Amino acid sequence: MDSSVWRARLLHGLTAVLTLGVLFAVFFVVPPAQGLGYYVRIAFFHIPVAWVSVLAFLLSAWWAAKVLRHHDAHADALSAKSAQLGFIFTVFATLSGAFFSKLTWGSYWNWDPRQTTIFVLMLIYGAYLTLRAAMPDPARRARVAAVYSLFSCLTVPFLVFIIPRFYFSLHPQPVLNSSGSIDMDPVMLATLLAALLDMTLIFWGLLYHGVAGHPPQGKAGDTV
Amino acid sequence: MTSSTFEGARLVLRKELRCSLREPAAWGAMFMFALTTLACVSLSLSGMTLEPKLLAALLWVILFFASMAGADRGFGDEDLARTLPALQLYGAAQAVLFGKMLYTGVLLLGLAAFTVPLYLIFMDVTLTSPGIFLLTLLAGLWGVAVAGTLLGALATGARVRSGLCTVLMLPIILPVFLPAIALTAAAFGGGAVAVSYLGGMVLYDLVLSVGASILFDYLWYED
Amino acid sequence: MWSIDFEDVGMTFGARTIFSGITHRIEGGRITAVIGQNGSGKSTCLRLAGHLLRPTQGTVIVQRDGETLRQGALRQEIGMVTPELRFYPRLTARENMTFLLGLRGKQLDEQAYQQALRQVGLETEAVAHTMTGEFSTGMRQRLKLAVLFLVDAHIWLLDEPGANLDAAGRSMVLQAAREAAQAGRLVLLATNDPGEEEVADDIIHL
Repeated sequence: MDSSVWRARLLHGLTAVLTLGVLFAVFFVVPPAQGLGYYVRIAFFHIPVAWVSVLAFLLSAWWAAKVLRHHDAHADALSAKSAQLGFIFTVFATLSGAFFSKLTWGSYWNWDPRQTTIFVLMLIYGAYLTLRAAMPDPARRARVAAVYSLFSCLTVPFLVFIIPRFYFSLHPQPVLNSSGSIDMDPVMLATLLAALLDMTLIFWGLLYHGVAGHPPQGKAGDTV
Repeated sequence: MTSSTFEGARLVLRKELRCSLREPAAWGAMFMFALTTLACVSLSLSGMTLEPKLLAALLWVILFFASMAGADRGFGDEDLARTLPALQLYGAAQAVLFGKMLYTGVLLLGLAAFTVPLYLIFMDVTLTSPGIFLLTLLAGLWGVAVAGTLLGALATGARVRSGLCTVLMLPIILPVFLPAIALTAAAFGGGAVAVSYLGGMVLYDLVLSVGASILFDYLWYED
Repeated sequence: MWSIDFEDVGMTFGARTIFSGITHRIEGGRITAVIGQNGSGKSTCLRLAGHLLRPTQGTVIVQRDGETLRQGALRQEIGMVTPELRFYPRLTARENMTFLLGLRGKQLDEQAYQQALRQVGLETEAVAHTMTGEFSTGMRQRLKLAVLFLVDAHIWLLDEPGANLDAAGRSMVLQAAREAAQAGRLVLLATNDPGEEEVADDIIHL
């Protein structure tokens, strides 16, 4: 059995253990947060899922660049899978955010900057997947999808700058606030970091499981 | 841009204008589409007094949908007429891209020149800062023309074309769309104008133009 | 000296493998014929040679005096006649020619223009005033050949160039291909016609 299979098994095992640990911590260890009570449990799902949504977008663009530079079919499969998972994660992030918002602020949706950002991300993913579905020829599909992925990336710095100016925020202060100190219960922080790592590993596992059916077939030397 | 690119872009623009002038039905359909979008909004809101912010938002929604009837025409028409192989064989990437962008720009200017005055009249808008409004309009159309041309090129060869460009366009154009609405609201008398938004729009237009120029080579050349 | 090297080239569209394992050196100054049945990939082979398509396997290298050309620099050197080329139906034949040559940075020289029209057998009047949308298939084929002669490219990719032409037209095409090869151009000819195979110096069987 070759080493990549063992690596995959190790990754899956680690992810399973970590997931159980995080679930245990979230339900039995983490204290209720001030003002949010036990609703804070949603945050341990919501924040990691939102983080993976953004990560998947950046990774998809990274692999898109590889597609254009090296005509690498494996990179195309990874880029597509990353976007596909990213779309699902944005849906989860949006839904969990909406419930959290309803429970704490009274309405499902209020065009908060981060809600808006994740919504735009969902639009980009949706457009990307529509484009892929509409292209019959695989070579051209890889090319145009990669171009769209990179073209849509150009919007990101502008949206990050623009959206907070147009939409009023209800979100709590970032974990790392402006003074640079971490303003959070240590147990909560540790659980959140573990949840972030866990969700990233779940994403990674799904990603490579998803492209396992597409063995690398780019030019020699173009390994990902 | 080298002189041969400039010369090529000029040729492409002239070819597009000549072809489209000989196909008046296409222009008719495009302007009627713009008029229909405009009619939809103004008929359903007739008699109401609207805030400047709402007037501005409606104008840009109309402009967005109206321009989608023309923004992807540059490559869409060639794809339909199956003339792309010839253009791809003889034309250099950058000359074709910039020629098509200029053509799209002309189309959109025409559409705006038709739609905007009608909107101002129908909705009884008072224009307090026409200069800002005009600059906003130009910066907005520039972005739509650039993005529409590249996305039109992306959509060639697609099995499903209808609506595809609109879907691809919205996320790309948001950084133009949002400040354009704020600036337009201000120009309609809705408070102070943050002129830095205009700078932001122009900057984004430039980024889109450079990005489109770099990415288009990968679409035009297979190797 | 021009050359195109196919190195272990294969092409797959979806699940269908058109051909695979083609290794061949095509040289300038000769006519190379690509022969095979319908669907054997002759047109694909020509498009691969001009880098208008990327092989799914192997590489195609185009060289001028040992210097490798690609993208715009290569495209600039290609002249092509193929059924999938279409002219702008709303432009006259002359406008089409002026536009396509202009894109290559070439003015339409009146004398060369008249000569090319005579060579392919098109009437000046029709070319100047008729929209190509109203041309017959035979006239369009002749127009494609006229553009090929005027564009002065070093690589000629001819996909069934005698299609829709009468006997005189077909022999004119072969004559032109022969002269082009003598002038050092690289001529790649995809054909089903045994008469056209005979003029070839080299043959690729698909």
